[in-house]
Amino acid sequence: MVGCSHASVRPATRDLFFRLGALRLSVTDTLLIFVAVPLAVVVVIAALGYVGNRGGSGDKRYRPGRHFDFAPVWFVNHPEQLVESGRAEITEGERKPAVTTGNLEVAGAVAPAGETGGASDRW
Amino acid sequence: MTVGEMQAEQSRPDLRDGPFTTRQLLRLDEVLRLANRGTDLNFSVYVGPLEEPVREHALRLHSQLADPADSVLIALSPNQRQLEVVTGSVARRRIPDRDARLAALSMVAAFGGGDLAGGIIAGLNQLASRAGKS
Repeated sequence: MVGCSHASVRPATRDLFFRLGALRLSVTDTLLIFVAVPLAVVVVIAALGYVGNRGGSGDKRYRPGRHFDFAPVWFVNHPEQLVESGRAEITEGERKPAVTTGNLEVAGAVAPAGETGGASDRW
Repeated sequence: MTVGEMQAEQSRPDLRDGPFTTRQLLRLDEVLRLANRGTDLNFSVYVGPLEEPVREHALRLHSQLADPADSVLIALSPNQRQLEVVTGSVARRRIPDRDARLAALSMVAAFGGGDLAGGIIAGLNQLASRAGKS
């Protein structure tokens, strides 16, 4: 008889303990918690990463040999004067005899007065 | 006296479209200002496409500057991988071609590593220190 009474109590307690856990959730609740919530988190993080990448300067890097898309810039000391006299001096500049590269190739040559100098290089 | 920025088409573009980040622009501005003030030469930096022949185009840009004789132009085209340093007739006496070439060499070394701003700053510093006090 004792064994019989034990058998009648045990299933009841076992059911109670199991029912307290995740098994109490319905199928929709389970899906929402274990699929929809992680998916939402993943989507939010991915969106943030995408926006951050686009806004940042990471894709503006110059890499030699790869096409670099940018607006040309010219840093000058007196931009106003360049704008005003730019056109006139372009034509004036074209009339000047251009310095030949052969002249510039002579490294360390004494600079003749009245000529432009400098250097050329590639990478 | 501030260093201006403008496009070849003479329209004011958005600086963010340019090849430099804000931080690099600030550093460039500072270095250019120091170079101009320290030497009394006009340093100018052009970054953009250069038409063939490249040297002629750089000379043309140089002649457009307010005072070409006193001006030093650093013109570079990242896509063509070309660098031109143009010194005016007065500036050339203080920066001989040999030193311009040395500065160009160090700039090209930085450009080859993908560092445009760093190369320009190094070159400017080198040219300015060679020109010395006016």
